[in-house]
Amino acid sequence: MVESKKRGCDIPRDRHDHNIVVFACNECGQGAFNTAGVARMMYDASVTIVPVQCSGMISPAMIMDALAEGADAVGCIGCCFGACHFVNGNFLNMHRVKMMKKLFLEMGYSDQIINHYTARAAEGETAVGDVEDILERLERAEKEGGTFKQ
Amino acid sequence: MKVGIFQFNGCDKCFAESLLLGGGHEVERVSVPASWKGGKLDVAVITGYLLPKDKSALDKIAASSGKMIAYGSCATTGGVFGLAYQRGNDIHPLSTLVPKEILNVDGCLGEVEELEAALWGKIPNDKSKLCEACSRHSTCQYLDDVVRQLEIEDGDEVCFNNKGFLCSGYVARSCKENCVGSGTPCRGCKPSIKDPSFRMLGMFATLMANVEVATEATGKGGTDKLADAPDALTRSVPDVSGSLFRFSLPASRLPLGKAPSAGNVLSDVFIGRPIEELPLITGLLGGLKSISFTLDVVEAYENGAGLAVSEKTKALRRELLALEKDLQAAVAKGNKEAYKAATSAIRKVAGNMNLSNVYFGGFKVPIQGYDDTTDYRSHVFEIKAGKYASGSVVYEIDSSGLVIAFTRKEE
Repeated sequence: MVESKKRGCDIPRDRHDHNIVVFACNECGQGAFNTAGVARMMYDASVTIVPVQCSGMISPAMIMDALAEGADAVGCIGCCFGACHFVNGNFLNMHRVKMMKKLFLEMGYSDQIINHYTARAAEGETAVGDVEDILERLERAEKEGGTFKQ
Repeated sequence: MKVGIFQFNGCDKCFAESLLLGGGHEVERVSVPASWKGGKLDVAVITGYLLPKDKSALDKIAASSGKMIAYGSCATTGGVFGLAYQRGNDIHPLSTLVPKEILNVDGCLGEVEELEAALWGKIPNDKSKLCEACSRHSTCQYLDDVVRQLEIEDGDEVCFNNKGFLCSGYVARSCKENCVGSGTPCRGCKPSIKDPSFRMLGMFATLMANVEVATEATGKGGTDKLADAPDALTRSVPDVSGSLFRFSLPASRLPLGKAPSAGNVLSDVFIGRPIEELPLITGLLGGLKSISFTLDVVEAYENGAGLAVSEKTKALRRELLALEKDLQAAVAKGNKEAYKAATSAIRKVAGNMNLSNVYFGGFKVPIQGYDDTTDYRSHVFEIKAGKYASGSVVYEIDSSGLVIAFTRKEE
């Protein structure tokens, strides 16, 4: 578990004390989180948002960096289908995440700890819903004993 | 320079190759490191895959040697035996077992020229890229489907990856074994970058952009997400760990695998691998018996599935088996010249010491000195589920062509 000090701030941890990394794209991903913030929507404090230009630039090596350095789960949030500002970055990352999911299953771990989502910049609830789904899946993976932390 | 060469677990191909080390060194060859009597060494060369139980022997070697070199993929990253890491075998790269600076000489087979240079402290040249040396060219197009290597390569000059075969050349250095020259996509034993397997996974998954991936509604907030259901993408690459992490699973930062183990390392290496990969893996890890091991695996399937094999193929295989005997005799006597002669004869027929050219039904690429390739080139086959046995090998495959049980009787 990464200490909150290491993260450079003193965010109160929520009841689960999870550590979730969310890669959010510059357009819809971060846009949806901003909209959620403006509308004062609540989402779990265990989320660390990593801004990326496009979800198409999230590589498996980056996701592994997060998981190996203490993240419990990783989510990638890109634009809606057909709306990627860089043509098809969201689809490319979906392919990579799906392959990683298969790899995790082959290794005997849960595939629920990573996923790719889409969001709409104008609707904050899409980002909040994605975070809820990440947490739900993480809890499922923990119950099965399929997370990377023993 | 006083050099100690230590063979730990697994195949002894690199240990045998180190016979070719140039003169001028005082070489001590140790095949049972646990009972090594000790002594001062300038350089210790470690070959073979490593388990936590080897730590005490490694500590003793580290304490009595100046420099330490990991020679061959097994010692540097876990190697092809490292695939058993998926099933809970705690295989380690040398650098995680010994608190000492290690010089890595990657490769399966490790190149003896690079080992020679490493003895003098030179870090192997990591600038060469396989794609630069490869004669094939890229078409820069997304793939519509992935091809499992069940069909004969038609010999044109298009990049393996663009044709749908998974070739690790993007993340590998060019090497002496040159699998791509034997009609085999690069295995990726000599990585050219950090974290090669995950980067190759990213690269190949990106190439597969036109292959369908399943999505579903989140139900929360009303957008879409990746679905858990199997789709065309997961069916395209039936064995991600074996295809992309062939040599680097223990060094990949993935935690120790929890897939069910069959009880021994060799079986665990093979279970879950597709049938078309089997002769390629046996060629890598069979050591000095790799030819008979590979031919056992190939012939078991050919006999069981009713694949016809030409007389010429049979003759060439007999020639290879005779060469294997020569090789074993040369290594037993420590005869450098005989070893050189045997390996170059094997390379001529089998493509390289990893036997890339040996395959189901025949050979993949023309063999120098034999004109009529139709006599020995044919290996189109269909997957037939069932149990296959020949010689020392018994294995079983399921309907998608994945191995579900594998045993080898040791003589």
